[in-house]
Amino acid sequence: MSTSRKWTRWWTALLALAMVAAACTTGGTTDSTTGGSEAPATTTEEGEAPATTGGGEDSGDVFVHAADDEATTVDPAQVEPGEGGETIITQVYERLLEVGPDGPDLIPGIATEVPTLDNGLISDDGLTFTFPIREGVVFHDGTDLTAEDVKYSWDRAMTMDLPDGNAGLLSDIVAETTVVDDFTFEVTLQQPSAAFLNAVVTSSVASIVSQDAVEANGGVAAGEVNEFMTANPVGTGSYELTAWNRGENFQLGVFGDYWGTPANIDVRIDIAPDTDTRILGLRAGEYDMMEIDPSLVPDLEGAEGVEIYSGEFLLEPIHIGFNTRFEEGSLPPEDTVTPEFFQDPLIRRAFNLTFDYQGFIDGALGGQGATLPHYFPQGMLGFSEDYPVYAQDLAAAEELFREAGVWDEGFTVSIIAEEGNLFEVASLVLQDSMAALNPAFQIRVLAQAESQFDEAHASDPIPYALWAKNSDPFADPDALMQAYIHPDGEWGTVHGMRDMYQDPDAIASIIEEAGTELDTDARLAMYAELAPMLYDDPMWIIAGNEIALNAHRDHVQGFVMNPLWPRPSVKFAFFDK
Amino acid sequence: MQIRDYLIRRLMVLPILLIGVSIIVFALTRVGGSPIGIYMSHEMTPEEVEELEDRYGLNDPLPVQYVAWAGGVLRGDLGWSGVAVAPVTQVFRGKLAATMELATAAGLVAVTLGVTLGTFAGSRRDRLPDHLTRVFSVSGSSMPDFWFAIVLLIVFWVYLGWFPVGRSDPAIWASIAHPTGLYTIDSLMAGSWQAFRDAIWHLVLPAITLGLATTAIITRMMRSSLVEELNEDYVDAARAKGLPERLVLKRHARRNALIPTMTVIGLSFGFLLQGTVVVEIIYQWPGLGRWLADAVLRGDQATIMAYVLFTSVLFLTVNLAVDIIYAYLDRRVVLGS
Repeated sequence: MSTSRKWTRWWTALLALAMVAAACTTGGTTDSTTGGSEAPATTTEEGEAPATTGGGEDSGDVFVHAADDEATTVDPAQVEPGEGGETIITQVYERLLEVGPDGPDLIPGIATEVPTLDNGLISDDGLTFTFPIREGVVFHDGTDLTAEDVKYSWDRAMTMDLPDGNAGLLSDIVAETTVVDDFTFEVTLQQPSAAFLNAVVTSSVASIVSQDAVEANGGVAAGEVNEFMTANPVGTGSYELTAWNRGENFQLGVFGDYWGTPANIDVRIDIAPDTDTRILGLRAGEYDMMEIDPSLVPDLEGAEGVEIYSGEFLLEPIHIGFNTRFEEGSLPPEDTVTPEFFQDPLIRRAFNLTFDYQGFIDGALGGQGATLPHYFPQGMLGFSEDYPVYAQDLAAAEELFREAGVWDEGFTVSIIAEEGNLFEVASLVLQDSMAALNPAFQIRVLAQAESQFDEAHASDPIPYALWAKNSDPFADPDALMQAYIHPDGEWGTVHGMRDMYQDPDAIASIIEEAGTELDTDARLAMYAELAPMLYDDPMWIIAGNEIALNAHRDHVQGFVMNPLWPRPSVKFAFFDK
Repeated sequence: MQIRDYLIRRLMVLPILLIGVSIIVFALTRVGGSPIGIYMSHEMTPEEVEELEDRYGLNDPLPVQYVAWAGGVLRGDLGWSGVAVAPVTQVFRGKLAATMELATAAGLVAVTLGVTLGTFAGSRRDRLPDHLTRVFSVSGSSMPDFWFAIVLLIVFWVYLGWFPVGRSDPAIWASIAHPTGLYTIDSLMAGSWQAFRDAIWHLVLPAITLGLATTAIITRMMRSSLVEELNEDYVDAARAKGLPERLVLKRHARRNALIPTMTVIGLSFGFLLQGTVVVEIIYQWPGLGRWLADAVLRGDQATIMAYVLFTSVLFLTVNLAVDIIYAYLDRRVVLGS
């Protein structure tokens, strides 16, 4: 027998065997238990025995969420806001206070009471916050939680102060942490802060870790990552991480010794970067839930067994930033604008009046969105429907452009956005709106790969005069104001807002006063004063705010979503099926 | 030239080629921007960025950076993968096993079907089976894999529920040891029929998707080669001496038709390994392709460089192997001439 003939027969036999084997499992289901609370936590490094991705198996006893990206760390001291790790941290760790399932109200977490001036847990000068700590709380490693663990967790994050983490949120505001007794924790602030409870105490970086677990596995060192904690969370949440198969899935088991109402069902989070695969998986019933944006609604609307949840607004408006702090000659050669161009408030207002908001919301957001005032998202403290909101008004825009003296000669300016998402669409809408107003107004949309955009966006100065993205999610208006509006804040510095505002000191003064005002009514009055000023002197084009959307199977029970929770804005402990 | 001498000569040239490839790879990835991009955020102060650049030697001149990187490669240190949050070398092993398993399965599908169909069509030239095979090969090579993959998923995953995505059932995977990282082999070594069945069950759709285009190419190559061989005088001579047509085809014509086909098969394996990117993303296959796609999007240059270097070595090796197999199949071929 010839060699080729032998090989052909061998291959045919092997293939036939394979097909028979596959056929034997046709329609068959395999038990897919994913580690309960007894299962040892296993974290598999990429490259080592990469265990598995589900899909196709019977997932009746596990809730399967299809996620589009993966965490790089699940250490609260290392995680970046908005990063995939927050999804896990939200479920396996707890904080002193939590945002409840309905709206922005705070509920007790590890602390048994929410501090207020009325209950005396906030000192009269607004500097000292006292947190009574819950007794009988057990970490996933079996140790008991005390106030020492709380102090240790906060101090640890501030000591490590990792550049990719969010420790600044604590260290910028906290002067001292004190253990009063085993079950009383006290925080002294550097100055009164209206945002402390909503924006700091509930944040991922303020999660409570087990002191024993950390000390037994590398301890704390300034500026150094704790490799153990990066992948092995030891919290008190209703879920514990039972396995992390890098590149494939997370497995969360119900924590049997949880102090509160226990979770109902184990969870597996499959990493499924391809959108079509996630959609097909949900339609096939292999996934129970996936995050969606408005562009995916038509793919799922009417699908058998699939429900689309449409809730509150996300706290991440899509905006286009005006940058004036670029270096001479650093813009693309086609651009004709100078730093002075966007320093002119007439130009910025004219841009805001030219943008086709309704077209963007009806088209790109499928009607699942709304415009908002500068810069108060719906659902956040400070928002009011009485504040002025920009709408497209081409006649008014023309008037302003003429007044600014750019109508006749026109201009060319490039805008960068990450390709293939809503930000690119917002840029294209701006391009079309400008061209419709005056063909001499040319917007060059430079859609870039994620890494390219991230590098440009993170550079300082940014070598482009316009960029489109969404804002970071904030739970309190002060954090948002400090980041995006304050002339000396994060983006104020990058964009050169001090040279853009007509009265930067007035803006800064209101933001700072409102940030330290503990009387909510007085604070709201300050924001009411600020909103018209920001309308007249806009630092952004706010294209729109998306409504929080989610798609899940109709057998999911107890579904609740709150945009104030880190994405996907759910807590699996509420769910069952 | 003897095969051994030829092999030695080619192996001596290999390092020079690799150095050239590595310089090109290094230079091209730097054109795409600084490797520090993946670690940067606006919360970082310029001092922190500077500190990171110093830590990774990115303020050194490019040639110095190249030498440092190449030195690491020689020591088996391919750098740190920002995407996988682990050393590239460590991640590579697991990913490579997953991709090799998928590419091998796809190769088996492609070679088996391609050679069989090509022989079938070539021996029935201009008859109905030949026309049908031509339709298959044209449509197979022109169908985009991302589209074909989605169609298979809709039919076999969503509607029929026969085959899943992913590489395995989590519980079954966890039930056996994984000394090689190749699920099929590990399951056989563990003597677990359930795990072997699970491995095959998960392999079917991605292997068919990945192997389709290669099947079409091999089919066309095999058919045309066979048609050519069947017109040769030695085939007439074999028939004239009374050999049955079946033996003429299998012992004479097909063996010779396999020679050019072998070159295609050899190169196809390299393309199969490279072509896994789309298939791995759609089928959630945890292999090199999916890792690379993520690395490219997020600017993880250490991973990109390692991958390109790996495929370069792979192609050089496969080319060498094909030349040697070619010489084995056709004694008239003189190596090194």
